[in-house]
Amino acid sequence: MTHRDLRRTWLLPVLATLAGAACDLTLTNPNAPPEQTVLNTPDGLVALAVGMQSQYAGAVADFLVPPSLMTDEWGTTSKSLIAYQSLLTGQNFDPSYAVVLAPWADAYRTIKSANNLLAHAPQVPGLGSGLETGIVSLAKLYRAMALGTIILEYQSVPIDVSVPFPVPQPRTAVLDTVLALLESARVDFTSVPAAALTGFNTRVLGTGFNVLNTIDAMRARYYLIAGQYQQAIDAADSVKANVLSVFKYTSPAVNPIYDLSIRTGYVAALKSFKDQAEPGDARVSYWVDTTAAPITGNPDSLLLPLRKYSGQNDPYPVYLPDEMVLIKAEAFTQLGQLDSAAFYVNAVRTQSSSPVDEPVANLPALDPATQLGTPAQLLAQIAYERRYELFEQGLRWEDTRRLGSAITTTPTLAVLPIPLQECDANPAAGC
Amino acid sequence: MRSPYVHRLWSVLSLLTPLALAAQQTGAIRGRVSDAATDQPVTDARVTIEQTTLATTSLPNGQYALGGVPAGHHVLLVRRVGYAIARQDVDVPVADTTEVNVALRAAAVALDAIVVTGTGAPAERRVLGNTIESVPGDALNQAPGATTVDQALEGKITGAVISQSSGVPGGEVSVRLRGTSTVLGNAEPLWVVDGVIVDNSAQALVSLGANAGRGNAALSNRLSDIAPGDIERVEVLKGAAAAALYGSRANSGVIQIFTKRGGPGPARVTVSSEVGLSETPKKFAFNMAPNAGWTDVVYGGADSLGALVQRYDIQDSVWRTAFSTVSRVSVSGGSGGTSYYLSGAYDAQQAIVQAEGRHRTSVSATISQQLRPNVDVRLRGSFIQTHSDFLPEGEQTQGVLTSLVFTPTTVKPFYDPNLGRYPYNPVLGANPFTVLYTFQAPQDVTRFVGSAEASFRPVPSLTVRALVGLDDYREEDKYLQPPFSTGASFTGSISNPIKMQRNVNTDLTATQVAQLSPTLGLTSTLGYRYTSTRSDILAAGATNLAVGQTDLNGATPTASQGIAELRTLGGFAEERVAVADRLFVTGGLNVEGASAFGPDERWQAYPRASASWVVNDEPFFRNSGLANRVSALRLRLAYGETGGQPPNQYAQFDNYVNVSFSGQPGLVASTTAGNPALRPERQREIEGGMDVGLWNDRALAELTYYHRRTSDLVLSVPLPPSRGQASQLQNVGVVSDRGWEAAFTTVNVDKPSFSWRTRLSLAHDRNRVDRLVTATDTLVFDYLNAVIPGQPIGVFFGGYYARNPDGSIAYAPVSVTMQGKPYTLLLPVRARDTLPGGVIVNGRKVIGDPNPSLTASLSNTFDLGRRVQLSVLLDGRFGNKVANFTRRITELFGVDKEVEREITGDTVPRTFSLNPAGRSLIYEEYIEDGSFVKLREIALSLHFDQALARRFGAEAMDLRFAARNLHTWTSYRGLDPEVNLFSASTVSRGVDFANTPIPRTYTLSLNFAF
Repeated sequence: MTHRDLRRTWLLPVLATLAGAACDLTLTNPNAPPEQTVLNTPDGLVALAVGMQSQYAGAVADFLVPPSLMTDEWGTTSKSLIAYQSLLTGQNFDPSYAVVLAPWADAYRTIKSANNLLAHAPQVPGLGSGLETGIVSLAKLYRAMALGTIILEYQSVPIDVSVPFPVPQPRTAVLDTVLALLESARVDFTSVPAAALTGFNTRVLGTGFNVLNTIDAMRARYYLIAGQYQQAIDAADSVKANVLSVFKYTSPAVNPIYDLSIRTGYVAALKSFKDQAEPGDARVSYWVDTTAAPITGNPDSLLLPLRKYSGQNDPYPVYLPDEMVLIKAEAFTQLGQLDSAAFYVNAVRTQSSSPVDEPVANLPALDPATQLGTPAQLLAQIAYERRYELFEQGLRWEDTRRLGSAITTTPTLAVLPIPLQECDANPAAGC
Repeated sequence: MRSPYVHRLWSVLSLLTPLALAAQQTGAIRGRVSDAATDQPVTDARVTIEQTTLATTSLPNGQYALGGVPAGHHVLLVRRVGYAIARQDVDVPVADTTEVNVALRAAAVALDAIVVTGTGAPAERRVLGNTIESVPGDALNQAPGATTVDQALEGKITGAVISQSSGVPGGEVSVRLRGTSTVLGNAEPLWVVDGVIVDNSAQALVSLGANAGRGNAALSNRLSDIAPGDIERVEVLKGAAAAALYGSRANSGVIQIFTKRGGPGPARVTVSSEVGLSETPKKFAFNMAPNAGWTDVVYGGADSLGALVQRYDIQDSVWRTAFSTVSRVSVSGGSGGTSYYLSGAYDAQQAIVQAEGRHRTSVSATISQQLRPNVDVRLRGSFIQTHSDFLPEGEQTQGVLTSLVFTPTTVKPFYDPNLGRYPYNPVLGANPFTVLYTFQAPQDVTRFVGSAEASFRPVPSLTVRALVGLDDYREEDKYLQPPFSTGASFTGSISNPIKMQRNVNTDLTATQVAQLSPTLGLTSTLGYRYTSTRSDILAAGATNLAVGQTDLNGATPTASQGIAELRTLGGFAEERVAVADRLFVTGGLNVEGASAFGPDERWQAYPRASASWVVNDEPFFRNSGLANRVSALRLRLAYGETGGQPPNQYAQFDNYVNVSFSGQPGLVASTTAGNPALRPERQREIEGGMDVGLWNDRALAELTYYHRRTSDLVLSVPLPPSRGQASQLQNVGVVSDRGWEAAFTTVNVDKPSFSWRTRLSLAHDRNRVDRLVTATDTLVFDYLNAVIPGQPIGVFFGGYYARNPDGSIAYAPVSVTMQGKPYTLLLPVRARDTLPGGVIVNGRKVIGDPNPSLTASLSNTFDLGRRVQLSVLLDGRFGNKVANFTRRITELFGVDKEVEREITGDTVPRTFSLNPAGRSLIYEEYIEDGSFVKLREIALSLHFDQALARRFGAEAMDLRFAARNLHTWTSYRGLDPEVNLFSASTVSRGVDFANTPIPRTYTLSLNFAF
C-alpha cells in the first residue's frame, strides 16, 4: 500500500467529521416563534398582548357557565351534561368537573400572559413609551379582570403564581389586589399623551375597546363589591356614557356564548326570566327570544332560546353602561342617600333608547317616596333592574351575596371548590 | 503530507497480524465442495482451518485451494449458508498438496449466515450474542399476493405481531416486535432499506379510516410504496440488545431490508407476470326477516311491528371479485469492475370493495463499480409512484362499510330518478352507493429512495464504509364529499393536504479485523451516524362547494401547515473479541445526540454487550458422546440500551400558538409547558438463549428469553392550572416486557427426489405497565384501549355486566312502550361501581386484552425433485381479544342477523337493538376472542425443464399457483379478527369497526429467466 492511499484513508473520516460538525442539533420550532422572540422583541410583545385579550375574550362562556346556571339565568337542554345539571340542582356535584376547572384555568392562562407582559415590556427598549405604557396598563387591567372574575366564583384564589405551588388567598386580599392593579393601570395609562398611544390603539387594541373607560368601569364594579361605596360612585362617574367596550369575534373566532347556546344548543334562558318580568319591560326581548316555543330542559324546566348572543360574530360587552348607573344607585343606597339612589334607579327604568347596543327598559318611573323610599325597597328594585339589565354578564351570583334577601334566587352553591386538578398538582392549594 | 504518524499506526496494527507462521514449514490443501444430495458443486463456501487464520472461498465449480498450511494435523471447516458445517480431519505433509473433497448436507438453518449488526459491519450470526432474525428474500419475493414488504413478512418473524389493519390495497400493516414499549411514542420499528432510513409513517392527512386527529392511524402506511420484488433478505433487530447502535430511534426495534445488487457475468434477465383474484373472506349476515321489528318501526321502515316488509341486502353490489396484476422485469450482470441490477415493476390491484384500488410503478437501479482493487462505490436509486383510490371506512359514519352496518335493511338504497340522487340514509351516515359513486379519496405518492455508498480497504484488515441515504417523497391526498351527498343540509367539503417528507442519513464506519494470535481475534468498529427527518404538511380545504365542484376555488377555504424536524448525530465504537473462534465477546457504546432534547439532556450513551459461546466447537464437547447427536450447541447472552423519541419534536420548548383577536394576529402560550429536561425514553433489554442443532443440523432449535424494561416513558403530567398551563411532557413511566421465542427447523426428508422442511416458531410476550404518573392513573385512548398500571398496554377498559353470585349475567326487567303498548323486557344489567366517598357511577373495568399471549407460525415446504415445490404457511395468534364494534352497531340498528330472533319471537324484542337500558354501553358484550389461525400462504411452483423453457427462448421458466389468506380458523364473529380501526396506533389495538377485511387472494404467476 502506498503512502498516497494511506493519506486518502484519512480523507473519509475528515470529511465525515466535517459533515458531522455541520449537523446542527439545535433546532427551533418552525411552527411558532420561540419564546425568546415573543418575550424580547417589540413585535413579540405586541402579539402576546393581542393573544392575552383573545384568551380572556375566548373564555367568557366558561366564566358565565357557573354563575348563569347556579342562579336563575340559564338552563340546559342536554341530558348528558351531568356537570351542568349538577350546577342547576346542586346534586352529585364533583370538583373534577370541567365546569369547575374552566374559569380557573382560563383566568390563569390570561394572567400568565399578563405577567409575561408586565415582566418583559419594560425590558424591551424598542417598544417605545406609548406601546410600553399601553401594554403594561392593558396587562394590569386584564390581570385584574381575570383575578376579579374568579374571586367572584371561588372562595380563594392564588395571587402570586410565580412560585411552583401558589397558595390561594382570601377574597379580601384578592379584591385589594384587583383594585390596586386597576388604580395602577389608570395611573400608567393617563401618564402618556393620547397621541403616543396611536400604535398601541391600532396594533394591540383594535376597535371597540376603550381602555380608560374599562379601567374605570372595573374600578366601579370592584369598589362596590369591596364595599367602598364613595370610590365606586366616583369611578362610575368617570365612565363615559354611550361608549362601549366589547370583545370582537372576527372569523375564524366565534362568540363563545353563541357556540355554547346556538351551535351546540347546550344552554338556553330559563323561561321564568320572561315570566317574572314586569309587564312591558323591553329588556326581556333584548336578551331572549320571547316569541319562540319553550324548550323542555333537563332537569324539568321551560327554556327560551337566547337572542344575545345568537350570531357567531356578535361582540360581547366587557361591561354595560347601565351597570354604572346601578352601581351608583346601590352605593348611594348604602351611603344612605336614598333620593340619589332612586334617581338612578328611575334613570335606568325610563331609558327608552340608546345610541349603542344595550338593553333599554322603557318602563315608567317609580315613585321615589312610596316605591323607592326605603333601603329595602331600593335594594329589591336594584336587584330586579340588575337582573334584567345585566343578564348573562356573570354578575348575578355575586349579586345574591351582596343584595341578600332582596334577591329572588338562591344559588345552588355558595362558591365553587378549588378544581381537583389544582388540588392534585399543587400541594399548597389547601384542598 | 507525509505523516510519520500514519506509518507508526500501521506498524502497530501490523504487529497484530500473524507473521510468525511464515517461518514454518508448510504444505497445501485443495479440493472440491459439493452438495451431498445432488453432487452439484457448491460455490461461495467458506473454507477455514481451525486454530489458524487461513481461509478461502470455493469457486463456482466448487474448487478451493489453501496454501501455506503448517505441516501437521488440522481440522478443515467448510461452511455455507443453508448447509451444516462440515468438519474434516486432514494431515498436511511438508511441501505437498493434500486433496480434501467435502460434501455438504442441507442444514435446517445456518448458524453461520452473515448478518449486518446495525453497525454496517457484517458478522456471522454465530459470533453474535443477540438474536438477529434473517428472512431470505425468496420467502418474501414469492409470498403470494403480498404487495408490500410488511405483508410478505407475516408469519416469518418469531416474536413479531404483524397485522394488516385494513384489507384495502396498501392497507396499513402494523409490526410489533416483542410488544409495545411506549405510550405516547411510536411503537412501530425503524425501517432501513440498504442503509437508508425510510419513512413508514401512518399519519392520516384526511379522515378515511380512523379520524385524522388520532395518532399514527392512517388507512395506509408509507412502507407500502416499496415493492417487495427486489429483496435479497430482511434482518430484524428486535430490541435494545441488538439495536443499541440505532440510538434514540430504536426502542421499537429495527428492520433492515437488503436488496439485490447483481454480480459478475453476462446479463441475466428475469420477467415475471402475475394475475390475481381477491374476494372478501366473509360477508356480513344481515337481518332479512320478512316481518318488521322494533328498529324498522322506529326508523320508518314499517308502520307497525310484524308488518310485512321488503328488505335489501346490497352487499353483492358493494363487494366484488377484485382483479390484480403484477409485472416485473429485472436485468443484472456485470463485467470488469462494474456490476448492475436494474428492475422495473408495475402492479395494479382492485380492492374487494367497489371503486377502490391502487397501482404502483417503480424503477430501481443499483450500479456498483470497483474503482481500484480496494475501493468500491455503489449508487442506488428507486423511483416510485403510487396512486391509490380510497373510500372512507371504519369510524367515518359516511364510510362505505360503515354506512352498510348503520342502515336498517328496510331502507331501499337504490337511485331514485324522482329525487335525481340516491336516497339519504334515514339513520346515520350516508347511502353506501352515494359514497361508492360520488365520493373521491385519491392519494398520490411520488418517492425517491436512494443512496451513495463507498467502501475502501486501505489494508486488507481495515474496511472503511461511507453511505449517504435519501428518502424523499411527496404525498398528495384529496377527499371530496360532494354537496348534498349525505343530507340536504350538507354543503360539501374537500380537503387537499400535501405532505413533503425528507429523510437523510449519513453513516461512516471503519472496521479493523486483527488476528492477534491463532486463538485471539479482534474486530474493532468505529463510526458515526447522522439522521435527519423533516416533514412539512400543507393542508388546504374548502367547504360550501358548488355542485360538481372538485377543486378549492370559489368555496369557503381553510388552510393549515405543520412542520416537524428531527436530527440525531451519534458516534459509536464496538469491540469484538473472538477467542479460539468459539467464544465471542462484544462490547459497544453509542453516544448520540438528538435535536428533540434540551442541551442538558441532548447527549445520551447507549451501551451494549454480548457474548456467544459456540460450545460444539469446544474439544471437550466434540470428544464427548454427545457430539454424535448434537451437531451444534451455542449459548448466547446480550444486553443493550436504546432510546425512544417523545411524541413531539419541540417538547423541550415553551411553544406559542397563533391566534387572531379582533382581526389582529396574536400569540398565546401553548397549554403544554415546555420541558428542557426531557430525555429519551430508555429501554434496557437483556436476552439469553441457546441454539441447538441435532443430527448434523437436520433439526435446529433456537430458544430465546428476554426481559426488557423501558423507563423514562414520556407522559403528559398535569400541572397546577394556576401556572396558566395544563400539562407538561415528563419522563415518568415504566413499562416492561418479558417473553420467550422458540423456533424449530427440521429437514424431515432430504432426498434428491423428495425433500420436506418444516419450521415452527412460537413466541410469548407479557407486557406490563409498571408506572404511570400516579398509581391510580387510567389513560384511555380512543374508544376502550387503556394504559393502566399492572396491566398490559392497550387493555380494553369499559362497562361490564353485573353478575349474580354464581357468576351468571344478571338480568332485570325493563319497561318500554312501543306504539302506545307497554312491554316488559328482561335485559342484562350494567355493573355499577362505588367511588371512594360513596358516589355510585357506571362501572368500568378491564374487560379484555388485545395482545396475544402466543403467536405461532408453521411452515412446510415439500420439494418433489427439482421440478415441483409446495409450500404452506400457517400463521396464528392466540389469546388476543377483539372489540367487535361492527356487531355493536349492527345489533343496535337492527341490521344484524341476530335481530331476526327478536322478530321471530325466539328472544325478547330489543334484546339487541335500540340500546335499551344502555345495553350498548356494556362493552363486555362486544369483546370477543380474536384468536385465529390463517392459512397465510400456500403455493405450488412448477419449474419447467430447460428444454421446454428454451422453446420460449428462456433459460428457466416457472409457473406458480398460490393463494394468500385462503382460510381462517377462528371463533371471532366479525369479518376478520386481524383488522384494527386504529392501524398503527401505539395503544389502540384490536378494534374492528367496519374495516375492510383482509382479502382472500389467488394468484397465478409465470416467471422467465433469460
